[in-house]
Amino acid sequence: MSKLKGKVAIIGIGEVPTGRFPETAAIYHAIASARLAIRDAGIQKDEIDYVMPTAALFSPQFNTELVTCRVAEELGLKNVKKNCQVFAGGSSSTCALEIAASLIHSGAANMILFVHADRLGTGVSAQGGIDLFSTAGISAEWEVPFGQHYSAIAAMSTMRYKYETGCTDEHISAVCVSNRKWAQLNPNAMFKKDLAIEEVMASKSLSTPLRVKHSNVLADGGAAFIVTSAERARAICERPVYLLGEGGVVTHFVFSQEPDVSRFGWAKAGRMAFEEAGLTPKDVDVAEIYDSYPIYQLIGFEELGFAERGQGGEMFLKGDTWPGGKIPTTTNGGMLSQGHTGAGGAVALMVETARQLMGKAGERQVQGARFAVETAVGGTYMDAQVTILGTEIP
Amino acid sequence: MDTPVKPKPVPVVNPWAKPFWEAARENKLIIQQCKDCGTYIFYPRIACTNCFSDNLTWVPASGRGKVYTYTVVESYPPSAFIPDLPFVVAVVRLEEGVQMLSNIVGCDPHSVYCEMPVAVVFEKLNEEFTLPKFKPVEA
Repeated sequence: MSKLKGKVAIIGIGEVPTGRFPETAAIYHAIASARLAIRDAGIQKDEIDYVMPTAALFSPQFNTELVTCRVAEELGLKNVKKNCQVFAGGSSSTCALEIAASLIHSGAANMILFVHADRLGTGVSAQGGIDLFSTAGISAEWEVPFGQHYSAIAAMSTMRYKYETGCTDEHISAVCVSNRKWAQLNPNAMFKKDLAIEEVMASKSLSTPLRVKHSNVLADGGAAFIVTSAERARAICERPVYLLGEGGVVTHFVFSQEPDVSRFGWAKAGRMAFEEAGLTPKDVDVAEIYDSYPIYQLIGFEELGFAERGQGGEMFLKGDTWPGGKIPTTTNGGMLSQGHTGAGGAVALMVETARQLMGKAGERQVQGARFAVETAVGGTYMDAQVTILGTEIP
Repeated sequence: MDTPVKPKPVPVVNPWAKPFWEAARENKLIIQQCKDCGTYIFYPRIACTNCFSDNLTWVPASGRGKVYTYTVVESYPPSAFIPDLPFVVAVVRLEEGVQMLSNIVGCDPHSVYCEMPVAVVFEKLNEEFTLPKFKPVEA
């Protein structure tokens, strides 16, 4: 167990809308989000002493700019000691928060800006996006030659999950509907039209049992957050969002090497995080569970203890996870409805977690939210990461 | 607009996996086994994933196993695989306990199911590479 419980806090968040913006340069998404986060924190820009960009996937050139300090220069940050990229694919935000917390708690940094931007919506072609995600994180020796890609991976998890639990396509589709209901209340979300289960299940077959509307859609966007010590946070921020617990389990690189594709390491990662926080799932007001495909949100939700295995789908179906439901889940709409910006999927989710706890979630605010759990996972669902955040230190 | 058909991706081979691909070219499925602890290993490693010994050897695999999970890819595959639609991608669990990704061939894609018994067959990709694939067999 780490010594970070209650030692650091997120004090500012920023996000630009997710969508397709062919005229907008990727750096804009980064610096606009960062500027919003600095403003939100109520600090002077020159208090930032550490910039931690995560990686962009659409362009190696743009990613190199992030690595080589462009954000600091564009924003005119004068006191930055280090600019260092932290990247773990889809779990980047979670991993970065823990690293940022360690740096702050050790005294190596005081005020860290974490920032993400990508242009997967308009910076690559539609087929280019599929081809990127049929090689990125997929073994070039053992899986690429067999036609492996991310939809097939999610489909294989779904297939095994259905086989083991008896859960139906309706249950899987209910996750998409739940996320859409939240996205309809999120000004930064890409998809806001009403979505019915029948529409999801009638959409074109992708990789069985998945249909096109079970898939995320690649998008442009950016988000940022600011981390500082709990002590400093209390001095400048009305409602700091404390890091209370974290857990993680790295399970595989090559998808076929995963011994349990319908569970992964979530149960253990969840136990670690809850134990450190001194909380249980019953204490959680908001569950910000990583999706990308509905099966992963369902597995994460169940393995963390919000439902018995195989019973989660029924909760998504009857509205327990919807706005006003008993366990509001993935309240920004997730990558299924807010949009998939690469590593940004879980950055958006981390920002949403902080937003809910800060009481800044507008129409979709979960009233009185004190404790939240956030999950993230990278690659081919290689590392179950769980973070617990709260406005109080239990 | 038609997408031009891309050539099929060939395995990017790690030097220590060469014996596997050489055997596959001769329609043989081999996997590693640790001579110290007996663990079967796939995909090929430089050291045992159980006891960390580098005292590894190659052994013939049964080539028989079961479909752990699968999917029938019906649309939006990687571009090189567009002409193959629909096709089955599956994780096969061999009798030796190791798992590998492959395609299930020689049957109606929609007849595949979890825990279906399968056996290896070999499909020549080009002069250099032959891929181990699997077809349904009687239990």
